[in-house]
Amino acid sequence: MKNKIICIGNRLIENDRAGLLVYDLLATVRMPPHTELIEGGISGLNLLCFLEHAGTVVFVDTVSGFTNPGGVVVLNKTQIKSACPKPHYGHDAGIAYVLEVLPGVCDAPLPREIFLVGLEGPTRKSAIEHAARLSLSLIDKC
Amino acid sequence: MAKIIKGLNIPVNRVEGDLEIRVDVNDHRIEDAWSSGTMFRGFENMMVGRGSLDGLVITPRICGICSLTHLSAAVTALDTIVGVTPPDNAIRLRNVALMAETIQNDMRQTILMYMADFTNPQAYQHHHLFQEAVDRYQMLKGKSVLDVIRKTKRLIEVIAIIGGQWPHTSFMVPGGVTSIPDTPKLMQCQVIIDQFRSWYESRVLGCSIERWQKVSTLKDLHIWLDESPSHQTSEVGFFLRFAFKAGLHTFGRGTDHYISFGNFPFPQDTNVTPLNKNSSPYPGKKQGQYFTAPGFATGITCQDLDATKITEDISAAWFDQNNCITHPFDSETRPYASGTTGNKYSWVKAPRYDGMAAETGPLAETIIDGVPLFQDMIQQKGTSALVRQLARITRPSRLLPAMGTWLNEVMAHRTDPFYTSVKRIPDGQGAGMIQAARGALGHWVSIKNRKISHYQIITPTAWNGSPRDTGMNRGPWEEALRGLTLKDLENPVEAGHVIRSFDPCMVCAVHTLQRNGTAKHFNAGWSF
Repeated sequence: MKNKIICIGNRLIENDRAGLLVYDLLATVRMPPHTELIEGGISGLNLLCFLEHAGTVVFVDTVSGFTNPGGVVVLNKTQIKSACPKPHYGHDAGIAYVLEVLPGVCDAPLPREIFLVGLEGPTRKSAIEHAARLSLSLIDKC
Repeated sequence: MAKIIKGLNIPVNRVEGDLEIRVDVNDHRIEDAWSSGTMFRGFENMMVGRGSLDGLVITPRICGICSLTHLSAAVTALDTIVGVTPPDNAIRLRNVALMAETIQNDMRQTILMYMADFTNPQAYQHHHLFQEAVDRYQMLKGKSVLDVIRKTKRLIEVIAIIGGQWPHTSFMVPGGVTSIPDTPKLMQCQVIIDQFRSWYESRVLGCSIERWQKVSTLKDLHIWLDESPSHQTSEVGFFLRFAFKAGLHTFGRGTDHYISFGNFPFPQDTNVTPLNKNSSPYPGKKQGQYFTAPGFATGITCQDLDATKITEDISAAWFDQNNCITHPFDSETRPYASGTTGNKYSWVKAPRYDGMAAETGPLAETIIDGVPLFQDMIQQKGTSALVRQLARITRPSRLLPAMGTWLNEVMAHRTDPFYTSVKRIPDGQGAGMIQAARGALGHWVSIKNRKISHYQIITPTAWNGSPRDTGMNRGPWEEALRGLTLKDLENPVEAGHVIRSFDPCMVCAVHTLQRNGTAKHFNAGWSF
């Protein structure tokens, strides 16, 4: 089973692109063994396919309301789901919706661990670098 | 005494946060409506000055649901500028991938978004099928919801295999495709499509595609519904039983004008035949050369599509340009949000065909393709929210057989080319006009000195959700809302049925997780 670092967001939207800036940075470094770096973009529900046969999954994305602007926060699966207790399906269906439906639709073993490295915007270069380091360390620890 | 409410805002949840609907209501009846896109997109401006191929990478990121359709429109524009016709195998693979994306959209939109309104307790707790609707379509838990997510998740693998990358594939390039799947991968695609078709027939239609295609009139539809329990309990059958009882066939008419750009060009050698077998060749975009025909219709009277008659009108849109009405090759994207005149109320321009507002989407396709059932339903009762949604949920029955055939043809001709060499993109103009999941999508592109000098995009939702034009003509869903009776002003579920039957998509952009639940743009309920 491969670990996954899945960076999500929209490059074309200033306040939704932090996850992909982390992707760009991580793409320049060597990934830990058995770890895949994925540009999840705005795939929404189509991210589900990356969660099948996965070990540890680390999402990297912009968040809002979790810490100070410019800060970085790490949430586990329970915290992600409790932050958004009634996610709905829409064209903006995000991580919370994906995680909520995952047990009901996954045709393979569920990921061992799921984390979200969240960047509270606006983000600086130091926060991007911090988020990248955190993502790698979460993989290393698991 | 009648109660008149001016400028009532209707929150349409699960559509897009960047859509606002404002209505005037007289005694529960909508007298007038205004649709406002509240977010400036401006993707066109990002393109100017970039390399000629950059549209292939940037425009698919406009939309997370239908990124391939933007890729397809972008590459079609460049194919036109180059003057190249891709090899048969490239055309087949492009078509199959695009069909997979269209089908996943149709199923998810119908089951996860449209049918979710049937679980609205304030509106339907007394409907005799309410409890079954909850069992099927309850968010996150409904058995149909989970079933559709599981099946469409698998279908998307077809795009990943054909594209060689997922997500954000850019496998379509001028002259063909970049990825040549090996035979085992193609067989894997065939298995996925076969399994999906089997599920679609058993669970969505409740019968074979061949049986469904024999339903050619409204009378036939009722006979089909009564014919078998499997028809009644299928998703189509349940939708019809619920929707007829709820009166969805009585409202949401629209402009009665329909437009389709057509899609899925034919390889030179193929066993697939056009949906509209009566279509005739037409200069510019030839009817007989596309599986889904291009055209324009008033009622069910169809005419050939003349791309020169397409214009964008900015009378009610927050844009500024020298001429109020222009062809997309001449349009500009210059935001102008002064609002001083009071006439402008949307960031969506108003596309028009020969000066007319026209709706687009699967229903428009059925009319222009001459699908007998929909022609009969419109002739007898006119367009409605029910007819529009029925066209969407049954569109896969028209696409799936062609997918299977084209995939087989690729396997049979796998040693043939997938790419015609294109050394450079010359200066010139080209339009990529295709039929996306939501309807007519166009990219109008000019290349000068190997760079993009002009890029204009008209999305399907711009057609359907357009504001007023110079003649004060309403956009299609503005028109479809007129005359609609809202039983409960605190719970305007009927308006949701109408708007959602167009499958709106205003921006598809922000996916941010926010503390305490609902995303910032959305209203969790129906309260005003």
